[in-house]
Amino acid sequence: MKLSYIIREGIIGIRRSRMPFMISVFSVTIALLVVGVGVLSVDNGLKYISDLQSEYDLEIYLENEVQIAETQTIADIITKYPGVIRMDYLSKADAAALYNAEFGEDVLSLLDDNPLPSSLRVSFEEDYRTAAYIQSFIHSVESLSGVDEVMFKKDLFKRVQGLMQLIYSVATAALFLIILSTVFLTANNLRLMILARYEFIETVRLLGATDFMVKAPFFLEGGILGFMGASFSVIIIAAFEYALKRYGIIDLPVRILDHPELILGLLIFGVSLSSLGVLKAVRRMLRFMS
Amino acid sequence: MIKFENVHLRFDTGISLRNLNFKIDSGEFIYLFGDSGCGKSSILKMIYMDLFPNAGNVVVFDHNSSQIKRRDISRIRQRTGMMFQDFHLLSDRDIYANIALPLEVQGEKSDEVRRKVVAQADELGIRTKLTHYPHELSAGEQQKVVLARAMVISPDVLLADEPTANLDDTSALDVLQSIWKINSSGTTVLFATHNSKFLRTDPARTLTIESGEITGDRL
Repeated sequence: MKLSYIIREGIIGIRRSRMPFMISVFSVTIALLVVGVGVLSVDNGLKYISDLQSEYDLEIYLENEVQIAETQTIADIITKYPGVIRMDYLSKADAAALYNAEFGEDVLSLLDDNPLPSSLRVSFEEDYRTAAYIQSFIHSVESLSGVDEVMFKKDLFKRVQGLMQLIYSVATAALFLIILSTVFLTANNLRLMILARYEFIETVRLLGATDFMVKAPFFLEGGILGFMGASFSVIIIAAFEYALKRYGIIDLPVRILDHPELILGLLIFGVSLSSLGVLKAVRRMLRFMS
Repeated sequence: MIKFENVHLRFDTGISLRNLNFKIDSGEFIYLFGDSGCGKSSILKMIYMDLFPNAGNVVVFDHNSSQIKRRDISRIRQRTGMMFQDFHLLSDRDIYANIALPLEVQGEKSDEVRRKVVAQADELGIRTKLTHYPHELSAGEQQKVVLARAMVISPDVLLADEPTANLDDTSALDVLQSIWKINSSGTTVLFATHNSKFLRTDPARTLTIESGEITGDRL
């Protein structure tokens, strides 16, 4: 019965204060919209900058006389190296074709023999993409038999990494401020919503309701409110991304529907923000009353 | 059941209650008599632990005000029926929901809630009003609803804070008779009033409050 009372009072509370409830849902939607758009903007920005880097992090040139078995051994060692996410083999013929595509001349017609070496192009996982780690990798690979030279555009790499770090730090600080103001604005709005229910809280308190029984329906109401606000914000963001693509404005590389963790995060944030905000407002009112 | 021991209570307004000492036993009917603003409501509030004395102890159902926990305050209120001068009815709920509220917050089963609410409404002659809203009822009927809400939990004590103050004579008498009837079934009643007429027509033990002190405790 206690549970059914809590659920019923929660729903009754929503029905009886429809307008303040909808205003609160609207404010949570706006707040989470700002947070969601902020997170996605940062992710998209970082993705664009990351794409400025070449498709691979470094290229390992093999000696001309290297045998297939030896190439295979090198390839095996590299693929097993922690953090290597991708490795592509370019044969001498592939290198010649690339040269042809890039400079418009057939290297075999210029020279009798193909002087271009075969190579391995290596990409690292995001977490391992630091200059220091890649340097240590190069150090290990250079000593392998059959490896001639390792090409790593360290300066460009470092500059892009630095830029990404800067954007990440600024965006994190900005997001923190956005979230903080979101919490304050939403909490204030929820406090006004609870203030409108003063009569109910005062009455049930005097009729012997424990603090739990006073707070629980509001906690539920806050949870529903947050869930609705978060859901609306996700739907609006997804619709906006779809519209951007549909009308050919931009096809974002990072989209909310591809990131269930972001959707889950917004839902959890919305539900916790609202239910805890409501709880805090009720607790404050109870303290004021007693 | 209820004990005040050397209780002092100061207000920001400068008025204070001093040296309150009395004891209320189970089943008693007691008038708390005095002019408006003399502190009758404050004494009732100290009993249901909405106010705490600055000095001394209030003991209710063996719970001492100086050591009481929040949870125990709810326990006291779950055994206490309360009537207020301004009713404290929820205007957006019908009479049934208003009377049912104390049972629901105490976790009573829904069929029991229905049975008890209907029985209580029958007892006080307001069964036909169960689907009405408070604003559709007269002041006398509203006070009967308040009484039904107070009694539906079968409390050990009924605290009535000027329950007849806003009623005409007929309604006031009707409410008073209902409260006397409740007392005759064993419920302790503490009835705050400034109306001396009741003391003559329906005499009972009377605690008289003047200038912040109990100046009389007589049958």
